[in-house]
Amino acid sequence: MSMIFRRALASVSTKSVEPKVVDVLIVGGGPAGLTLSAALKNSRITRDLNIQLVEGFKLDGVKSFYEETPELLTNRVSSLTPQSVEFLQRIGAWKFIRQERVQPYDGMVVTEGLSDARLSFDHPEIATMCENVNLQSSLYQRIKELESQTAEGEAFGLDIKDDTKVTSITKDESNDWPIVHLSNGESIKTRLLVGADGFNSPVRKFSGIESRGWFYNRFGTVATVKLEYAPFVSCAWQRFLPTGPIALLPMPDDNATMVWSTTPELSELLTKVEPELFVSLANAAFLLNNVDMEYYYQCLRKDETEGLVDDIQWRIDHMTQKFTEEELDEKFPVKIISVQDKSRARFPLRLSHADTYVADRIALVGDAAHTTHPLAGQGLNMGQGDVQALVNALEQGITRGLDIGNLLVLEPFWADRYPENNLLLGVVDKLHKLYACTSEPIVALRSFGLNAVNQLTLLKDFMIGHVSGK
Amino acid sequence: MIITRPIRVGCSGIARLVSAKRLHSHLTSSSSDELSHFNELAKTWWDVSGPQRILHKMNLLRMDFIQEMLRSYVPIPPETDIYVPGYSLDLLPSEISQQIVHEQETYRDEQLKQANLRALDIGCGGGILTESLARLNYIKSVVGVDLSPGVLEAASFHKLLDPITERKITYELKPVDQVQEKYDVVTMMEMLEHVDYPAEVLIQALDKVEVGGWLFLSTINRDLISYFTTILVAEHLIGIVPKGTHSFDKYINSKELVDWIGKRPGFEVVSVRGCMYVPFKGWVFCGDGTTGNYLAAVRRLS
Repeated sequence: MSMIFRRALASVSTKSVEPKVVDVLIVGGGPAGLTLSAALKNSRITRDLNIQLVEGFKLDGVKSFYEETPELLTNRVSSLTPQSVEFLQRIGAWKFIRQERVQPYDGMVVTEGLSDARLSFDHPEIATMCENVNLQSSLYQRIKELESQTAEGEAFGLDIKDDTKVTSITKDESNDWPIVHLSNGESIKTRLLVGADGFNSPVRKFSGIESRGWFYNRFGTVATVKLEYAPFVSCAWQRFLPTGPIALLPMPDDNATMVWSTTPELSELLTKVEPELFVSLANAAFLLNNVDMEYYYQCLRKDETEGLVDDIQWRIDHMTQKFTEEELDEKFPVKIISVQDKSRARFPLRLSHADTYVADRIALVGDAAHTTHPLAGQGLNMGQGDVQALVNALEQGITRGLDIGNLLVLEPFWADRYPENNLLLGVVDKLHKLYACTSEPIVALRSFGLNAVNQLTLLKDFMIGHVSGK
Repeated sequence: MIITRPIRVGCSGIARLVSAKRLHSHLTSSSSDELSHFNELAKTWWDVSGPQRILHKMNLLRMDFIQEMLRSYVPIPPETDIYVPGYSLDLLPSEISQQIVHEQETYRDEQLKQANLRALDIGCGGGILTESLARLNYIKSVVGVDLSPGVLEAASFHKLLDPITERKITYELKPVDQVQEKYDVVTMMEMLEHVDYPAEVLIQALDKVEVGGWLFLSTINRDLISYFTTILVAEHLIGIVPKGTHSFDKYINSKELVDWIGKRPGFEVVSVRGCMYVPFKGWVFCGDGTTGNYLAAVRRLS
């Protein structure tokens, strides 16, 4: 009798099992979450922390990328500033980057659709184009390397759970530590909860931190494309059209990646049109004037696309015959000849900025804290900067014997990052608005401005310094 | 009149240090009005944005000081390849010197981890420093003693919120002269200026230090600058410190302290450093500690 009773008791006690307790729980296995994991395990001060990373999607592609590198480029590509690259080198991840798939560029040409104004930069290494999965993979490999260096008998203290979603977050009643409940039925209690969980951050919502901002009523259409030939100098091209900027960014050899920001309606059409027509339209967007583009948009809307490819080609030929071969090379990007199958995708563009990045036992990094228009290529780099500042703050907190979930530890991180991010978000926002304008005096003024800036080497050096994060 | 607390007339400073010798040990306790004052503060002690924010901020600097002292006294053995005579490190290219510093610090981490130090926090209050000490991975255990039941209660409650502090800290309601054992690290922060007979407390504190161990203390110089910053501005004008926290005649000059400890065989004052509060920035080190607030590190040699 007593045996049965004891057994019943035992089964009850296993059901109400205490949640696993960790020091840092990172929600999100994107670039920000993985960088934070690798950086914390790399630091001599924070390496003893017990860390749990949770990612909602499968990370199979990330895990296998280094050994079984796919042939085709992926369409999620980011521009890494030299500062971000330096940080990745410092935490030992950069050596695991598949170097044959990244492309540094040292030139940038900015033009606009309503006038001939142009601004061009030459600077040794403005930024490096890198697929997000390549970056994630390098971080994953670094984490594996650090794990293999753990002394025998010592726990590594970093566990990555993918394909596991956060179902809810609650608070421990006794000490206010967050408890994260997962889709696999597990619960994890944590000293510090880091939201690296993107724009719709569940962690931010749990923390009650407000995020403010707006949709631009624009979508970015990304695509991986092939060029007629590999360019002689690697250069980023960006042209501001009234509907939004189109950017062509170099990838190795004759590959390139493009982001075309435009209205929701057009972006949908652009992702659906025949590949051949998409290529023609993309070329046209860099060469033809806005009136022509408006006409093509109309054709797309009415689904009158027959003969459009030829029409575009005729206009491009007509436009380019004014220039010599040399001028063409200098003024316009190399012609796009094809778009990679299934590489077109679109995403909404928005500006958002959380009121703060920290609350008691909470820190937000990357898109969970801020999202920006991709026109300056700063989104991912802002996240890298956040991670760097958070690691610094945690190192200092541990050195001072503080509880790393305490606001005293976390406040310097947000004080360090908020002003810088706010400035960048603001500048990018103003640029977007300035170029969305078609009013003639404003076009004249901004063209004058762009041309004037183009003449001022000092100012250009200063600007490029900001873009490249130096 | 801004000063709401009467300034006590009588012996102060060095005179208090000297005269204490002939007093009985129970006088190491704080005066009763001090105790009730701290009892009042217990409730909000751990609110880092509350009335004790400035103390929480000061704790950051104390920990920097303690860490610096403890770490710098872990010798790098000359026979190892990470040993570099101090003067030549700056001459190396920065990448190499950074690498050497990194390796030296890693070596110190390992050495300290093996040391398993035991610490005693005298006048631990709500446990701000006690908890910080406990979280250092090379400190095995910390005992916090105080005479105010209210704040000790706040401290005992708060330590339970974190498994590390729960495991490592013991709080005891008793005067320092009733502490029996010796410790590797003894701390006595912002305490001498609150007791009536500091010399007696100091004798007791030094007595609790293990040979080779440290006493860290902080207090306030008895000068016009201290009066201006700690009482007039901090308590009365901007109110970042609760009123009645300080009494001017209890402040002790660092020179008095250094001379007094210097006369005691077996102890060496390793460092005295001034510190000040800069609004919007927090506490920073400044000067040689002869004005305003200061921290001191004392080592027991024998």
